[in-house]
Amino acid sequence: MHEAVAGKAYPAVPFRIDPGRVAAFREVFHQVVGVPTTFVTAAEFTVIPDIVTDPELGIDFSRVLHGSQEYEYRRPLREGEDLTIMSRIESIRSMGSNAFLVLVTELAEPGGDVVCTARSTLIERAAE
Amino acid sequence: MPSLRDIEVGSEIPALTRLVTAEDVKAYADAGGDQNPLHQDEAVARAAGFPGIVAHGMFTMGHLAACISRWAGGADRVRRLTAQFRAPVFMGDEIVARARVKAVDADRGVAVVECWVTVERDGQTEWPIKRGEAEVLLEP
Repeated sequence: MHEAVAGKAYPAVPFRIDPGRVAAFREVFHQVVGVPTTFVTAAEFTVIPDIVTDPELGIDFSRVLHGSQEYEYRRPLREGEDLTIMSRIESIRSMGSNAFLVLVTELAEPGGDVVCTARSTLIERAAE
Repeated sequence: MPSLRDIEVGSEIPALTRLVTAEDVKAYADAGGDQNPLHQDEAVARAAGFPGIVAHGMFTMGHLAACISRWAGGADRVRRLTAQFRAPVFMGDEIVARARVKAVDADRGVAVVECWVTVERDGQTEWPIKRGEAEVLLEP
């Protein structure tokens, strides 16, 4: 991974809180109402394919582990609303033979107000 | 649902147990969008050095979120959730989500809970999620 890429922002992508997808997510976790707290992972996985194939970043996704995850809400998500995904690489640092990448994904309203912030730490393990 | 009036720091919320199956993990992959074969293909998991298919960390975190949401009175009341992934979860594992009230912020009307997920394997306790934390909106 190339540490100089830290700070890079990726193009905004539209993301609908699709009621059918929310219902499928709820069903997996036996929940009855509301948008599950971790549903935002669906937005993260909308942009992750483009990030992990970004030649400027040069990450080997086959060696990646999920280290930690955070979700912070300003308000609950509403089923059917249209939001925008904004993602950026917050930091990249090496520790020993592993590299730690922090990916921040924000979901924003049409006016630009951020509704939810997701922060994922991905660990790229050393090549064998 | 928990209220500001009667919540007690140090009290544990009801634990939530789940048997992890390949069918449920596949359903999660379809709903969440992470189709990494490590979570679906036995051969890929073995090649990566695991004894079998590994559940997504986010499957385990989703279960933890369900545990906290149930206590909170709905997912809409969970304002923040964090988790550190410390151990893999395999098919057939029984994962247990737990949480304990760590602090109450009366001004903001929220409880901070520490939360974690364990699995018993070969007589040992492992921690698929350790040092998690959630912020839950309380009833007045």
